[in-house]
This record gives sequence, structure tokens and C-alpha cells, in this order.
Amino acid sequence: MTEQGGPLVTSGSRQQYQLSSDRPQPANLADILERVLDKGIVIAGDIKVNLLDIELLTIKIRLLVASVDKAKEMGIDWWENDPMLSSRSRDQELEEENRDLKARLRELESGRE
Amino acid sequence: MSETGLYCYAITRGLDPAALEGSAGIAGAPLRLVEHGGLEAVVSEVDLAEFGEEGLRRNLEDLGWLESVATTHDAVARLASEQVPTAPLRLATVFLGADSVRARLGEWHDAASRALDRIEGRGEWSVKAYVDVDAQETPAAEQEPAEEMGAGRAYLLKRRAATQRREASAQAGAELAEEIHAALAGGTVLSRRLAPQDRRLTGHTGEMVLNGTYLVDASGVAAFKDLVARLASEHPRVRLEVGGPWPPYTFASLDPQ
Repeated sequence: MTEQGGPLVTSGSRQQYQLSSDRPQPANLADILERVLDKGIVIAGDIKVNLLDIELLTIKIRLLVASVDKAKEMGIDWWENDPMLSSRSRDQELEEENRDLKARLRELESGRE
Repeated sequence: MSETGLYCYAITRGLDPAALEGSAGIAGAPLRLVEHGGLEAVVSEVDLAEFGEEGLRRNLEDLGWLESVATTHDAVARLASEQVPTAPLRLATVFLGADSVRARLGEWHDAASRALDRIEGRGEWSVKAYVDVDAQETPAAEQEPAEEMGAGRAYLLKRRAATQRREASAQAGAELAEEIHAALAGGTVLSRRLAPQDRRLTGHTGEMVLNGTYLVDASGVAAFKDLVARLASEHPRVRLEVGGPWPPYTFASLDPQ
């Protein structure tokens, strides 16, 4: 058994048993997010965070943190081009697309009347 | 100056305000305590343009923002949990003023006290187990195709053997994870298995078969680490990684466990 590295970065000590070719891993964002988003105690604050937003966010993170392979199996791959979740540009695109589609729908519906 | 709110990091019992001196919260704002009924909320002022409903909805989608807030949140919870019993809150719990915080501390006093009793003198430790799928032993079932066999048939047999090998190693990994988790859980106060993480976020190699978290008595930490080391030497094909102590995110919950 070989202990690799000592305490690393911010998240307390972390030891690896058995020598591996891995670089020593810093306390990773996935570790922190899985705890602060999902495990800390829930007390309603005065600011209400839209639960749907949180759920969507959690789903996105989950797709990356937990079950990418599963999501792929299910054919969910919209995040493929967007691995770092910097989704704003994509959201904007979708919003625009959504607006265009709604406008078209209105046109079509008004044409039918 | 725009409106401000109070971002609440954790509920503590017996935290000395002096312990927070020299430390800062989100955006460098000073940390302070709001006390009520023998409990404290660790808070700092935040800008409601950023942490109001609008702002949160926008910002939570921004991984850079999220990373910064999450790491600060964790650092503050960690600072407190190193001193006194601490129940970390979930990310982005924001109040409009100290009176609101006190009201909520009163409302949750008993449940929070029970949570703090549960984790007092204990730490949350994580143990992850990785297996290198390719390093699994080749099952004896795989044979070299006989010479008279056609190339197509040989190819199919080879593919089937590869699939079986993968399935066998996944099965072995799951069994190994269960065995290691059960051994670790046996010596700890509480334990839980979290979902394995994806390597694209963590950068780990091999397959994470166990992402376990354990509530360990302070007096039992050395024995816990020894046990991890022993399990590692008993299972040469698995790589174990132990991390902690974490603030007790998993075990300081308000609901009975």
C-alpha cells in the first residue's frame, strides 16, 4: 500500500491507497456540488429559489456527475456540446427559437380564422 | 448601494464570533453570527441583485458563478465545523434580515438541535472505490478461435467474449463495492452510498464503483483509515480514496434518519 500525496487543496485531507498513475486530484467541484446542492439541510429562506430551476440545474449536474452513460442510453444528449454547463448561450438560442416558433404559430393560427 | 440580504451558510451551536475573524464569505463580505435560542446562523451580506429571485435564477445556470459560491459556502461550513457542531445549509439560503433568520432558527430549533446532537464529535468521511475495467482478469471462457473457423464467425465470437468480459467486470465491481461499503459501514455511526460521479467532472481514471460517505467518531478516525488501508491491500484491483473530514452535509439532516 502506498499513500499518495498529503492533504490537497481546500477540501481537507485526501489519501489514495495504492500507487496509481493518476495525478493527485484536487478537491473537485463534483464533490463540493454534490454536497452543497443536494445534501445540506433545507430551510426555506425569504428568497424563494424557483424549485423547477433548481431541479433542472440538479438534473444537468447529475447528467454530468452521476449518470452520463445512462443518459446516453436514453438518448438524452443535448448537453453533449455543452459539457461545462455554460448553457446560457444555448439557452438564449433556445429562447430565440422558441420565440420564432411561437410567432409562427400565431401567424398560422390567425391565418386560419 | 443596492439592497442586501443575508446569505446563511450553516447552523452552529456554541460558535465563538472570534473564530470568524479574518475570514470572509461570498464576495469577500465579513462573516457574522445571528443568535437565537442557543443556536447561531453563520451569515454574510449579499447583494440582492445577485441573490434575489431573478439573480439566483440567472446565476445558478452559470457554472463559474456556481463554483465560486459553492466553494465559498463549503469553506465557511468547514471553518465552523472544525470548531463546533455544525449543520451546513443547502446552497443559496437567503434572508431579508436578521429578524427573519432568528424566526427560522426558532422554528427549526428542535430539529436542528437533534441534528447537531447526532453529528457532535463526529466527522463525515468519504470513500470512493475505483476499478480499472480493462485490468480485470480475462475469463477462462475466452478461447482463441479455432483455425478452421471463418473470419466472420471468429469476429462475432470475439465480440461476444468482450461483451461477456465487460459484464463480468461490471458485476464484479458492483459486488466489490457492496463488500467494501458493508465493511466500512460496520464500524461507523451512519453511512450512505451516493451516486458514483462521472469522470468528465472529476478527471478520475477507471470506473467509480463506490461513492460512500460515513459518519465517524473523532476517536475512531485512525481505525477507520486503517480499515480502508486493509481493504485496499485485500483488494489489489481496486483503488480506494478516502477524503475528509467534510462538514456533515449528509448526516446533519433535519429529518430523522
